[in-house]
Amino acid sequence: MATPNAFSFGRVAFLVQHTFRVEFRQGHALIGLLLFALSSVYAAFQAVGDDAGVESWNALIWIVLIFTAFNAMARPHPDDRPENRQYLTHVVRPLEWMLARTVYHWALMTVLAALVFAAFALFLGTDHLAGGRGWWMLAGLELAGWALASCLTLLAAIAALAGAGFGLTAVMGLPLIVPIVLVATRFGNDLLGGLTGEETVENLLFLGTLAGGITAFGLVLFPYLWRD
Amino acid sequence: MNHRGFTAFGVALLLYVFAMVAWVPLGPGLVEVMNDEAGQTHAIAHGTHFTQSPDQLRAFAGTQDRLIPLDFEVVSDHRLLLRPTWPDTLHKRSLDLFVQSPVDGTLSLGNAFYVESASLDPDHRYAPVEVLDGSSQLGFHFPFQPQIFETIRNLMLHVPMWFTMFFLMGISFVQSIKHLGAKGLGPADERAVTSAQTGLFFGVIGLVTGSLWARFTWGDWWVASDPQLNGALVTVLVYAGYLVLRAAVDDPVLRARISAVFNLFAFVLLIILLMIFPRFNESLHPGKGGNPGFNTYDLDSSLRAVFYPAVIGWILLGMGMYRMRLRMESLSRRINRLEP
Repeated sequence: MATPNAFSFGRVAFLVQHTFRVEFRQGHALIGLLLFALSSVYAAFQAVGDDAGVESWNALIWIVLIFTAFNAMARPHPDDRPENRQYLTHVVRPLEWMLARTVYHWALMTVLAALVFAAFALFLGTDHLAGGRGWWMLAGLELAGWALASCLTLLAAIAALAGAGFGLTAVMGLPLIVPIVLVATRFGNDLLGGLTGEETVENLLFLGTLAGGITAFGLVLFPYLWRD
Repeated sequence: MNHRGFTAFGVALLLYVFAMVAWVPLGPGLVEVMNDEAGQTHAIAHGTHFTQSPDQLRAFAGTQDRLIPLDFEVVSDHRLLLRPTWPDTLHKRSLDLFVQSPVDGTLSLGNAFYVESASLDPDHRYAPVEVLDGSSQLGFHFPFQPQIFETIRNLMLHVPMWFTMFFLMGISFVQSIKHLGAKGLGPADERAVTSAQTGLFFGVIGLVTGSLWARFTWGDWWVASDPQLNGALVTVLVYAGYLVLRAAVDDPVLRARISAVFNLFAFVLLIILLMIFPRFNESLHPGKGGNPGFNTYDLDSSLRAVFYPAVIGWILLGMGMYRMRLRMESLSRRINRLEP
């Protein structure tokens, strides 16, 4: 068998479906992620109580989102075993694999970011979210989650190829996500500090640009990683 | 000229730079106006020569176009005892201090006085005063900057570090692209890692000299709010991560390939953090926020005469270090081959 010659969206869709199926079959992995996110929020709630100020609310939600993202992306996936990869290099193109993994991680982060947001609203209160700010904050969390997913997908692939686990992804990833964190925290501070969503929308656009740019960059670079 | 010639030229430039940094004096300037316990007002200056021509000295309070002459007494080269007598009506409460001397030229200190006793009339004009020619008769000197003072010499040791790091990381970036485009394990991978290591060295020195400078001008070893400072730290961490990644992989072919991909990522981040982000954020660094520092107007000809050679000298030295490291690596490989 040789690597397919043409790019096919059908194979991408199948790979996404396949990744989901493997995850659900494992069961405990996804439950573990949800549990991690929820207990992080609960730990934050224990630390600051239910009348957190703008700074703590904002700082904690981004910290929890970052660690949830690291937890979700950096764990070893069954498909990353060397023998599975060996097989996959023969039946799919690297771009298809990368696109499928990115889409899967985006979907995962969409759910996790919404969950973190809901848990924060429940435990730490909605005092700072008046006037439709909750929707804006959710939009910011989703965009930041997608940007994190794009960045960490590539880094986790690098770490998996290097045969190293979570530690290497963290060493490479924590500095690399700083631009995302800077824009996201400023967006949160502006929004929760009293600006309307429209007034700080350029930060959202910046986050979207980062998410798109990093994804494009990862899609361009990944085929070089998989080359034999 | 081969690369050793370039390195020697760079070292010669740096010797010139160090000599200038050590021996060129700082120009004259006013530091502050303060009241002592006896209620007397002193003007403190730096690098001035008040005792050389005490009779031709003039002091004024006011603004550029409206000046009030001040009575004073020369205490020392760097100190005047002021005896201000304020008129009944002022055009502004907050007044600048100007001192004119035939030796030091015109010196000024913004908002040196705040006068509460007089009545205010924005259109008020005072009797015209005799003003001297503003040029000084001093030789070659570095410009006096408020708050920065003598630490202006650090300009030659701090800023070129970043230029050199950019340059070396640029080489690393290009070599990584070359590696990804080439077949097999060519020389590009080793060049990429060697230039990144050398660049990292300059980045760390840049952080240290920057931290020292921040202590003297901004009052703290590290400040949280400066995007350029924190961007520089993150860049250094990312390249350290690049070296950790390389250390984690044993297979040389795989190591070369995945670290090249990460290196491209790292360089793009360097551009974002050090060249794009600081333009969108408030910064304490000169030329970006409301900081008294070096913008195009402040980098005067005396600084340029040392700063540009410093930039070229440091970059050539960085290149020389990079070449030397490459040669060391290839020599040690040859030794390993010869020794069974």
